[in-house]
Amino acid sequence: MDLTIFKICAFLGAGISIGFGAIGSGLGEGMIAMQASKNLGRQPGASGKLLRTMVISQAVCETPAIFALVIAFLLLFKSPENATLVQSIALLGAGITMGLGAIGSGIGSGLPGVSASNSIGRNPATTNTTIILMIISQTIAQTSSIFALTIALTMYSKVFPNTIVSIGAIIGAAISMGAGATAAIGVGTVGKFAADAVGRHPQDSTVLTRTLLIGAAVTETVVIYALVIAILLVFVAV
Amino acid sequence: MDAMNGAELVKAMALLSAGLCMGIGALGAGLGEGFAAGKAVEAVSKRPDQATLITRTMLIGQAVTETTAIYAFVIALMLVFK
Repeated sequence: MDLTIFKICAFLGAGISIGFGAIGSGLGEGMIAMQASKNLGRQPGASGKLLRTMVISQAVCETPAIFALVIAFLLLFKSPENATLVQSIALLGAGITMGLGAIGSGIGSGLPGVSASNSIGRNPATTNTTIILMIISQTIAQTSSIFALTIALTMYSKVFPNTIVSIGAIIGAAISMGAGATAAIGVGTVGKFAADAVGRHPQDSTVLTRTLLIGAAVTETVVIYALVIAILLVFVAV
Repeated sequence: MDAMNGAELVKAMALLSAGLCMGIGALGAGLGEGFAAGKAVEAVSKRPDQATLITRTMLIGQAVTETTAIYAFVIALMLVFK
């Protein structure tokens, strides 16, 4: 029976991980492609710059889905040598953490790519400054999915004590990091306005970058609170 | 699994609710602060000479929004260590 529960939790965790994890990246990359097509119609002469920016921003937007795929593969091929109920719930928790945690980073990375495409379509001369700001804001939005990956890997590999307290801690950490990482959509919103603004006023890129970094850093603090609670639950409370 | 008693179940539920509390609390505050910072960047692009004033106002607004996330953080810490 323990082996059955182990396999159920591993497969469920893998499915949730990549099933939910793909939502954010899919939406983000789709939004980027949508804007690229629209701006190609508006400025066919800038097609080289637009396609290059689209591919760069979609590549950054893809990374949370790749993290979720890695966790799904790890869960699928986990060997059941320690198949207690608590370890099975830990695998399920890893899947939930990575699945939910990837949504926010995917959408949050898509928003700056959308604005960058619009800026280049409006004024192709500002391409290089726009791409720099877009990559900065996409990278800050990615940190949430990296936090989620760390917590998921910890749940995957740590040996938990065989009590019900562990089950509460695991599910709590999964919800904390999974829901908290969705705040990366806020970070993406800052990047969206930044990429748009630098396209309109490229000469102010220094002060815009500074404002972007201050705003994105303060927004990222709530994700760090969620990460601290998840770490406390996984390491200290059990 | 070892024998389960009431105290253990209470502790398990406390840890679960700590996670729930911080996760959903971080979500709302993060989105709100992101919107505030985004509009601040747009304002700086329209009036770059007012960048200091706009950044200061943005930080005050974000700090007030942060207090809700800090409430959730404090309750989550109390639930973890109670």
